[in-house]
Amino acid sequence: MVSITENVATRFGDSRTEMLVTVLENMVWPILVVTFLAFGLLIPIELFYSLDNIQFIIFSSAGLGILVLAESLCLLSGNFDLSVGAVAGFTAVFSGLFIYQWFPGVPGVVGVLIALALGAFIGFMNGFSISVLGVNPFLQTLTFYIIFGEGTVILTQLSISGLPESYLYLGGGSLFGFKVGVLLLLTLFAIAGFVLKYTRIGLAIYAVGGDEQAAKEAGYNTTRTIILVYVASGVLSALAGVVYAGYIGTVTPTLANGQLFPAFAAAVVGGISLFGGRGNILGALAGVLLLSTIQSGLVLVNVPSSWVATINGVILLAAVLLYTAEARLRQRLLSA
Amino acid sequence: MRGITKRFGRLVALDGVDLDLREGEILGLLGDNGSGKSTLVKTLVGVHRPDAGTVTIRGEQVEIGSPKQAREYGISTVYQDLALVNEQTVAANMFLARAPMKRLFGLLPVVDWDRMNEEAERILKERMNLDIDPTARVEFLSGGERQSIAIARALVTDPDILILDEPTSALSPDSAKRVEELVQTLREEEGISVVIISHNMDEVFNLTDRITVLDNGNLVGTVDTDTVDRRDIVEMMVGGTMPG
Repeated sequence: MVSITENVATRFGDSRTEMLVTVLENMVWPILVVTFLAFGLLIPIELFYSLDNIQFIIFSSAGLGILVLAESLCLLSGNFDLSVGAVAGFTAVFSGLFIYQWFPGVPGVVGVLIALALGAFIGFMNGFSISVLGVNPFLQTLTFYIIFGEGTVILTQLSISGLPESYLYLGGGSLFGFKVGVLLLLTLFAIAGFVLKYTRIGLAIYAVGGDEQAAKEAGYNTTRTIILVYVASGVLSALAGVVYAGYIGTVTPTLANGQLFPAFAAAVVGGISLFGGRGNILGALAGVLLLSTIQSGLVLVNVPSSWVATINGVILLAAVLLYTAEARLRQRLLSA
Repeated sequence: MRGITKRFGRLVALDGVDLDLREGEILGLLGDNGSGKSTLVKTLVGVHRPDAGTVTIRGEQVEIGSPKQAREYGISTVYQDLALVNEQTVAANMFLARAPMKRLFGLLPVVDWDRMNEEAERILKERMNLDIDPTARVEFLSGGERQSIAIARALVTDPDILILDEPTSALSPDSAKRVEELVQTLREEEGISVVIISHNMDEVFNLTDRITVLDNGNLVGTVDTDTVDRRDIVEMMVGGTMPG
């Protein structure tokens, strides 16, 4: 019998490297805790650390959180989606007009289903174009970002208010004393975590993102996997649109505008790799909570709201720098 | 394989090539770049469809349309690039696209990680004598270990025929030696027939029972390894003629 254990022992026994890499990949959690504690020093403790404020932090980021989930799935599969925010806005406006103006009296839940179906269709077109026609994901989703971003303004330039409660429930309603948006966000992340870890499609997403050719050679249907990822991204983006609408109580033509880059920032700072196949979806949730904590904290320390977009940009820059540093460190550790 | 011909447009990559593999033997497949070795193997495992010729396994003529179908016929391949997903664990790589499933609450099909890790550990330990943690990510492994994991993956489907494309070209001499020993173990203990595509003459002469040489898409011939020397093989590869 052949024995190659000695090589394994010297190289693989180095659990310190493994531990360091694991710490690097999960650094969003300590950053979140430190940020949270830091704001507690600036803001009266009873105000910032109250359960109400914590729930508000999550509640106010429910829409963004769902967009982050959509983006994270695309990133894990080795792709990305620039159209998530535009799809959220377009599907919300389309479904809002459908139930308010085109077919008044239709139940709000029909509006929600129309938004989700439209999101699924747009996602399918993205996925088909990328995986079957071979269009570059950047160009494909950029064109949809433009088409549906501008399409929203073509549909209406006015806000749509007076929407049925059932339409606004997911983003604004309460259930057993909790905000539905909070429950929805946490449930969606839990489901995504489960699907990615315990189902065939979850493993396929990681495999395709890690090495598409290897996944194909092993027998995965990579085309179907990518289409499914984009359909999920479209549905989640549409759901995010409905949640945004419920949160503000109305559908505006600028709904989810400017949310694309925070969605990227949260995913990246949460440890989701820009190159696919690497990252934990719960890290992305921590990324959302980090962004939301910072925004909420800034509001409470009276930073003007007009600064928020710029601060988001700074966070994105910090996330990218952090990511680059982490990737380099990991590379150095692994080749040591 | 009999009379395998494969054309890409006007280029004839293989011109009526025959290849025999005996049960439990290690066969070296040699030839210069462009000689048709890779095309022949890819045709055997269903990546390419032959324009002419037949494939017969244990007397039964078969048509192999995909690598998956090849695995069903008991043929596993380890490609030169290994096709491992670095970010995934050893077990997940070994069972890539073939994860064992169980029913959650008797209903929902979910990946059975416990079984997958146990199976992976069993294959590594019992069949390959490797002490590698199946839950470790592949990116933490050395080159030789990664090569071994790629071979371990090929063993998951219990193949009768194992095809290794340049198995040691990217390895240090020590790691290469260990992989060679591993191949011999698989042949001796499990009776697996192995086809090795290699440029490494030492490896070919150490491991193989017979050597088949291709040149420019044509079969030069097949010889018993212990009846030839390196000069004979080089002559076959360069001159396209049989020794003696």
